[in-house]
Amino acid sequence: MLTATDLWKTYNGTDVVRGVTCHVGAGEILGFLGPNGAGKTTTVGMMYGGVLPTRGEVRFGELRLPQQGREARASMGIVTQEDNLDPDFSVYYNLVVFANHYGFSRDQARHRADELIERLGLKEHRDHKPDDLSGGLKRRLVLARALLNRPRLVFLDEPTTGLDPDSRQGFWKLVSELRDEGCGLILTTHYMDEAQRLSDRLILMQQGKLVDEGTPAELIQRVIGGEVVECEGIDEAILREISDRTGAWLRPFGQGWLMSIDPAHRQETLTRLESTPGSVITPRPSNLEDVFLRLTGDQL
Amino acid sequence: MSTNADQMTAAARSESAPTADHKFPEPIVSRLPSWPYAVFSVWRRHAIVYSRTWLINFLPPVTEPIFYLLAFGYGLSPMVGEFVVGGQKMSYLKFIGPAMIAVGVCFQGFFESAYGSFIRLRFQRTWHGLLTGPLGFREIFLGDLFWAATKGMIAGVVTGLVVLMLGQISFMGLLFTLPFIVLGSFMFASIGMMTAGFVKNIDQINVPVFLFMIPMFTFSGTFFPRDNLPPILAFIASWLPLAQLVDLIRLPVVYDPTWPMDLAGLIVWTVVTSIIAYRVIFRQVFK
Repeated sequence: MLTATDLWKTYNGTDVVRGVTCHVGAGEILGFLGPNGAGKTTTVGMMYGGVLPTRGEVRFGELRLPQQGREARASMGIVTQEDNLDPDFSVYYNLVVFANHYGFSRDQARHRADELIERLGLKEHRDHKPDDLSGGLKRRLVLARALLNRPRLVFLDEPTTGLDPDSRQGFWKLVSELRDEGCGLILTTHYMDEAQRLSDRLILMQQGKLVDEGTPAELIQRVIGGEVVECEGIDEAILREISDRTGAWLRPFGQGWLMSIDPAHRQETLTRLESTPGSVITPRPSNLEDVFLRLTGDQL
Repeated sequence: MSTNADQMTAAARSESAPTADHKFPEPIVSRLPSWPYAVFSVWRRHAIVYSRTWLINFLPPVTEPIFYLLAFGYGLSPMVGEFVVGGQKMSYLKFIGPAMIAVGVCFQGFFESAYGSFIRLRFQRTWHGLLTGPLGFREIFLGDLFWAATKGMIAGVVTGLVVLMLGQISFMGLLFTLPFIVLGSFMFASIGMMTAGFVKNIDQINVPVFLFMIPMFTFSGTFFPRDNLPPILAFIASWLPLAQLVDLIRLPVVYDPTWPMDLAGLIVWTVVTSIIAYRVIFRQVFK
């Protein structure tokens, strides 16, 4: 559905996006995971025509972006990071007035606005102005606005940043429903749990570059293996010796160290670590944060 | 021809058809509105905002030129008496009437675009919100420009009606000035949008207001004929956009044979400033 090829963006001589290529299809959630400043928002901006690429190509079906941005965005829904809602209009009128831009008739606009208000749980707030809404409700209203024309592809740029856990859960549910309806989704996030839970495929980004790509499970298995252990109070030399012998991977982590566990040497590794006096060890299943740490040396 | 179009649509569909058993959501409106409609829908958005707050937004700016007209017109007339302009004898009220129409156009067109567009660009980020819909930069820019021009026209026409009621311009005379009110509104809307594109924060708008708008308001032959000024000052003043608009709107009262020059000046100002405005704002939005 949407294919981006070799996207580059340069601001004042600095390359903030460097050669990103990706594809998203119908009924699929493509996640972009990376720390703040990795170039996720700029990359996604180029995909809907909100940022002009310095180089590269974006195709949405038969349409080229940014040249045919208007045509493309008629079947895209975009939730930007900022809430650029109309402060002078109620929730309802934010939707009705925006629907005009798609060419809705008055009845279509009113009907669709009420439908989305109902679906996104904004009914009690129908006549409230955006300034009276909590962060979570504002995000829902931006999503409702993006869904007005039943888009084929939805962009969610850090949709849950700053939301409380309840609101995040609610938002995730809506995102999964959209996917099940056949919508393609592009999601950027710096939350590991969000990326892991929602993405069908994940792109890891750092300093404007695509670092790795795959399903969350694939990435974890390929890059780290199934299990890691967090170690505190153990001398680096001992850890190095274990990791060299078992082929495990080792990184500084918080106050201590993080080490991958090779399944073939699991028992041996854990026994050795536990027997070290003063050690505090926590074995746990590996996650995307570990993948990121391994690939980039950076924490999310 | 229709077969060709159908084939193209079919090709587009099959090209982007999902391979899995997913079904695309069907859009509610599948035909993209024409770009003039898109400009209109942006304009209409601004008009709806305005209609909700019109008492606060409408009254103060429109009353400004009317107060000048009444205060200076009635206040100074007894002291000035009748005087001769362009070989024609007239009262002071009659002299400043058309100028106040031009001032209404100038202030409303400029302030709506300078402040209004700036706020929509930087504070409310309305432009960025609109860009997530099926609108391009061109449509949003023109929608803003047309809206600021509309406000200039409203102020010009309302002031004109007051001048008409005071008996200082004929109905035909007022009708004659309408094209100039329209053109002048676009000119000041463009100048305002250029300002909105250049300034970095809202306080900086004071710079063109105090160094350009206020001097222009006083030197453009609004309150006295420019011929009263020292020749160099009069020459510079005659190139100000408001001076050209004042001369054109004053035509039904004072015939000025150089009006084609004024008209050409107005068109040049409008075209040049709107192109500059388009470019600076484009750079700002897509920087």
